[in-house]
Amino acid sequence: MTSAAPQSTLTFPRETFEKLSPHPYLLAHLQQASASSPPTRPNGRTPEQFRTPHINNGSLTHAEGSAVVRIGDTTVVCGIRGEILLASNVAGYRVDKSGTAPSTKPGYNEAEELDLLVPNIELATGCSPAFLPGQPPSTLVQSLSTRIYSLLHSSSLVNGADLRIWYQPPDLSDPDRMRDDEEEDTPEPEVKAFWTLYVDILFISLDGNPFDAAWAAVLSALKDVRLPKAYWDPDREMILCDDSVAESKKLQLNGLPIAVTALVFRAKEAAQSKDKRFWILVDPDTFEETLCDESVTVVVDGEKETKILGISKAGGTTVGSGQMRDIMELAAKRSAQLSRILNT
Amino acid sequence: MTNATASSAILSHLHRADGSATFSQNGYTVIGAVNGPIEVQRRDELPVEAAIDVIVRPAAGVGGTRERHLESILQSTLRQIILIHNFPRTLIQVTLQITNTPEDKVAGSKIVQASSHLAILPTLLQTALLALLSASMPLSVIFTSVLIAAHKDGAITSLTPNPSLVGFESADSVHVLAFTLEGKLLLAESQGTFTLDDWDNILEMAGSVCVPKDGADIEGGVRIEETKEDMTTFVKCTLEAKVAQDLHWYT
Repeated sequence: MTSAAPQSTLTFPRETFEKLSPHPYLLAHLQQASASSPPTRPNGRTPEQFRTPHINNGSLTHAEGSAVVRIGDTTVVCGIRGEILLASNVAGYRVDKSGTAPSTKPGYNEAEELDLLVPNIELATGCSPAFLPGQPPSTLVQSLSTRIYSLLHSSSLVNGADLRIWYQPPDLSDPDRMRDDEEEDTPEPEVKAFWTLYVDILFISLDGNPFDAAWAAVLSALKDVRLPKAYWDPDREMILCDDSVAESKKLQLNGLPIAVTALVFRAKEAAQSKDKRFWILVDPDTFEETLCDESVTVVVDGEKETKILGISKAGGTTVGSGQMRDIMELAAKRSAQLSRILNT
Repeated sequence: MTNATASSAILSHLHRADGSATFSQNGYTVIGAVNGPIEVQRRDELPVEAAIDVIVRPAAGVGGTRERHLESILQSTLRQIILIHNFPRTLIQVTLQITNTPEDKVAGSKIVQASSHLAILPTLLQTALLALLSASMPLSVIFTSVLIAAHKDGAITSLTPNPSLVGFESADSVHVLAFTLEGKLLLAESQGTFTLDDWDNILEMAGSVCVPKDGADIEGGVRIEETKEDMTTFVKCTLEAKVAQDLHWYT
């Protein structure tokens, strides 16, 4: 130091301010609101503003269905592959209609019992400096794949009937015989196999909000799935698939649930402080995620009147019933926007 | 309340841990142990606060992705109530071992491990809290949690706090809610199909199960007859009994 006199002003460029003191940096941005302009986040969005999604379907040729979803700098590839699970390989599988069969239990979900939907998430692709390739799966990855798994099942998005492969045994009884006894008519069709869908989700780049992007990719890929016509060949005793595209079938999805994540940014980091101001930031990026404790994810299906398929909120006490209503309104808007893109 | 859903707790029964608790509720039993503040590994060290490490071990087998998810929920919740800024550059370790899960009567269905993660969550949360209290860990506030199953029957939605396993699996939606002592919503995890109005009702009911009646401002004067005493009273009574037992020589 050449001079001992204190500098009158200490100025930094934006980037230095951001690195040195991230919390005041974000706070300074949000506090700038005047009557004319709403508060703006460092990434230029208002707190209620989502990033524009881009979706591209069917990019992977060898998958039954695939999607690339890009939301800001978060890019996800989802590929779905179908494999066949023979009913004879399922331990203790019974198709009888008696009351003791597990399939008659209330709340029975065949896809869940037989693990017909297998999601897996890969973050160690070099998508972000926080996740290095070649390391064991991080907590975030495991947590995300559990959330995708439970949402796939609790929303019963995939129709269990679409995954069954039926076989109608031919009627071998004597055609000349008079049909005098009603009981012995055509044999019942039986389930010979199931489709198992392997849902692989790869993050190409990650800039916040991994769950929303991953779920949008899963949804879009499931909409894209075409399963070939599969049938049981009794002579070879195996399942064969038909080559023709015309015979292949799309999945019938139940509704179109959209996940929306919002974070709560508090003016003071310590919970005990007097300053109780907070901002709800939707669709956060990585920088915002490092500064907020409380996160709220809602899954809404806006096709009919807005149904909620899941709420998960943790890490704080700011969001109560009132704030949840605000978030739901934002989620309904986002849901409308995303389903327009998904349905085209 | 039937016997199966009644809660019971034992405090400070593991002598080598700083704090411990066993809590049973709804057919689930969890042993919790708390150690801390202890030395932290260099890479986990946080300069201005204590690192919280939660380990969940299932009743059978090794933990999988489901346990990691539960751990991350517990970790972010406990961070809010432990005064972590009092112990910078240390570690507070919470270990939770599930020892008992309700038996599935129906043969042929999968083991409980594969079922939803929500059923066990309230028991884990409550055990963690009791173990932290047993370790005399400074907390900003205590919380209580409850599991609620909602069954839809036409236009009427019936709510059951602490449902049985069958009630849980047949429910249209299941909800785990945790409230602080002041009645603020600390944690909410919901699955299934419901509407926002249903959720508000569930919130109100959960509040009445968790938080004492006089201190609750979220309760709108609705009496719910299923529960005679709320969870906060249960925690209080458990602690009072333990303190009285430990200080029996004093009087």
